[in-house]
Amino acid sequence: MLTIENVTKRFGEIVALDRVSLSLARGEFFGLLGPNGAGKTTLMSLVAGLRAPDSGSISINGQHVGTNAMAPRHELGFVPQAIALYEELSAEENLRLFGKLYGLAGQELRARVDHGLHAAQLFERRQDKVQTYSGGMKRRINVVASILHRPALLLCDEPTVGVDPQSRNAIFEFLQKLNADGMTIVYSTHYMEEATRLCSRIGIIDHGHLLALGTLDELLTHLPFSELVRIARNDHTTAQMQALADYGEITKAEDAYLFKLRDGVRFSEFFAAAEELGLPYRYFNIRRPTLEDLFLHLTGKNLRDN
Amino acid sequence: MRTVLVLVGNEFRRFATDKAAISLTFIVPLVLIYIFGNVFGVNSEDRGPKGIPLAVVNQTDAAVPAAIISALQKEPAFKVITSHKDANGVERVLTEPEVRRMMRAGDIHFALIFPTDATSDSEVALKMKFLRNARNEIETETVNGLLEKTIFTAAPQALLASLQRLGANQVGSETMTRFNHSLADAVARGFGGDPANILHSIETGEFNIPGTTSAGTDGNSFLDRLIKMEREEVGGGNVKNPMATRSVGGYAVMFLLFSLTGASTSLFDEKKAGLYQRLLAAPVRRTHILWSKYIFGILLGVVQLLALFVAGRFLFGVDITSNVFNLLLICLAAASACVAFGMLLAALAPTAAAANGMGTLLILTMSAVGGAWWPTSFMPQFMQQLSKFTIVYWSIEGFLRVLWANCNTRDLLPVLAILLAFAAVASTISIWRFRHGQIFE
Repeated sequence: MLTIENVTKRFGEIVALDRVSLSLARGEFFGLLGPNGAGKTTLMSLVAGLRAPDSGSISINGQHVGTNAMAPRHELGFVPQAIALYEELSAEENLRLFGKLYGLAGQELRARVDHGLHAAQLFERRQDKVQTYSGGMKRRINVVASILHRPALLLCDEPTVGVDPQSRNAIFEFLQKLNADGMTIVYSTHYMEEATRLCSRIGIIDHGHLLALGTLDELLTHLPFSELVRIARNDHTTAQMQALADYGEITKAEDAYLFKLRDGVRFSEFFAAAEELGLPYRYFNIRRPTLEDLFLHLTGKNLRDN
Repeated sequence: MRTVLVLVGNEFRRFATDKAAISLTFIVPLVLIYIFGNVFGVNSEDRGPKGIPLAVVNQTDAAVPAAIISALQKEPAFKVITSHKDANGVERVLTEPEVRRMMRAGDIHFALIFPTDATSDSEVALKMKFLRNARNEIETETVNGLLEKTIFTAAPQALLASLQRLGANQVGSETMTRFNHSLADAVARGFGGDPANILHSIETGEFNIPGTTSAGTDGNSFLDRLIKMEREEVGGGNVKNPMATRSVGGYAVMFLLFSLTGASTSLFDEKKAGLYQRLLAAPVRRTHILWSKYIFGILLGVVQLLALFVAGRFLFGVDITSNVFNLLLICLAAASACVAFGMLLAALAPTAAAANGMGTLLILTMSAVGGAWWPTSFMPQFMQQLSKFTIVYWSIEGFLRVLWANCNTRDLLPVLAILLAFAAVASTISIWRFRHGQIFE
């Protein structure tokens, strides 16, 4: 469906993307996870044909993507990060305009616009100006405006920025339905929860490098540990951390210590030692590692701090 | 109080970052004050208009017209034109038919004709024709006044000298000389003075005759009865409402520039809204967007101009129906030039605020220099030259040719060509900038 081969893009001295390669199969829901400035939007803009890569190539269904190539654009829908709508026009007028630009007309255009308005739950307010909508309503129309022509590939560049939980859920459900109907989706985000919930495959990107690629389970195998112990931070535990360090690696988090068991050490040994040190079980919380932990492991920094 | 001062400081910091506000607050007024100062001669002892082209045709060899022409040539308000280059580039003395042709074409607006019977051997009198194309009322009234002042200052001496020659012809030079001597002695005895000086004044005509220093505005003055000036309108004589017809073009093009510059700077708003990302991800090219802006701007401009002219028709009786095809042509050319100007601003300015600030400065300056507010002849020479590089000047010229002179398409072609050439050059630069700039990224 989408093939990205050795793509590099520079802005002056800054290397926004460095030899990125990626291949997506039809029907995938692919998440591009990374902090702000990682290169997600640059990659999206190259795939959308808004910019040309300095080197490498991109193709959609075998058709080369370029700033002057029109054919792949009919296969593609793009939900920009900004609410790219004419705010002084109504939702219906916006949808009709964008539908016409893709060559839709007459009854077909009418039907697709109505369907889109229903999908965005805005049919009753279709004639209101977009500027009168809430942020969530605008975001929903922003997505719908990109799929009127029923593209094979939909690029969503952080489409839920600044959206309330209710609208976010509505957008998620809408995208999941599109994906279930066969649409391939590339979804960029810096929220690991979104990537975890939506995406069948995830790529982690930072400083223009694609650091890891795979399903959630595949990605987590990159970690040298399978469980993480969160230990409440207080005078009692702080005094005993040195002794527990013999069993694994301890790092300081905001209000806790994070403990990763060393290879070859069993949890029963660790908890027995803790009991001997007089630390009650209520201070301990075992959980599975997340993409946040993976990102920290890969880059040495937190995803959210960026 | 401290809180207020902190907030005041913040206001200044924000103001300092707003280039458009700085431009509108300081640069625009300074530029306009400079232009107004030059027009009204605030810093100059030699105030008033300079170098208004005045064609002069002298069909006699008489001394009086020659003396008046010499005086007109010394008057800085006028640029006296007595010859022109023909189609072969040969310099030829102007003739009345040629002058009339030039006036109808709008090349000159004023002419003074001394006919073959301007003076006569049998009487002391002067006849002349003043041809005018009163496209600009202020300029026409000013030229009228200056012309009368110059003529009525120079004519008496020449007429009295003529009287001496007429007397000598009639009674013989010896008798005339004796009469002058007797008259000089009588004047010296009666009023005092040196008889030799008085004799010189009599012979050369250097008298201060009452009624000759008021520029002849008093219809009963002595000179008014001697100097007959026939006035004729060449072009615009049949215009129904001259005042409105003269001014509508200048104001129309100024407002057109404002509206079309505003429309062009919408590019920045659309970029900020991310609309170009959506549009360019669709089967839409950059050139599609630019062409849509140009076509919309031109149509909006033509409709705006026509709306203003229709309003002029119903409110002030401006005749827009008798030359409607040429009016449409000049509206189209002016709108094209104004759109190109707006797009050039949008292409060169880094932000919408900068474009609007620069736009306001340039539009007001072009309107002032281009003749929308006052005749260009009221400005210093360098500004008059500068005016010919403005859209406003050529748009006004086109509107006046159509509405005032009721010209045909052939006579309008040079103006159309200049406006469209400006549009082409500005558009080429803009499109190059848009293609290589940041607006679509």
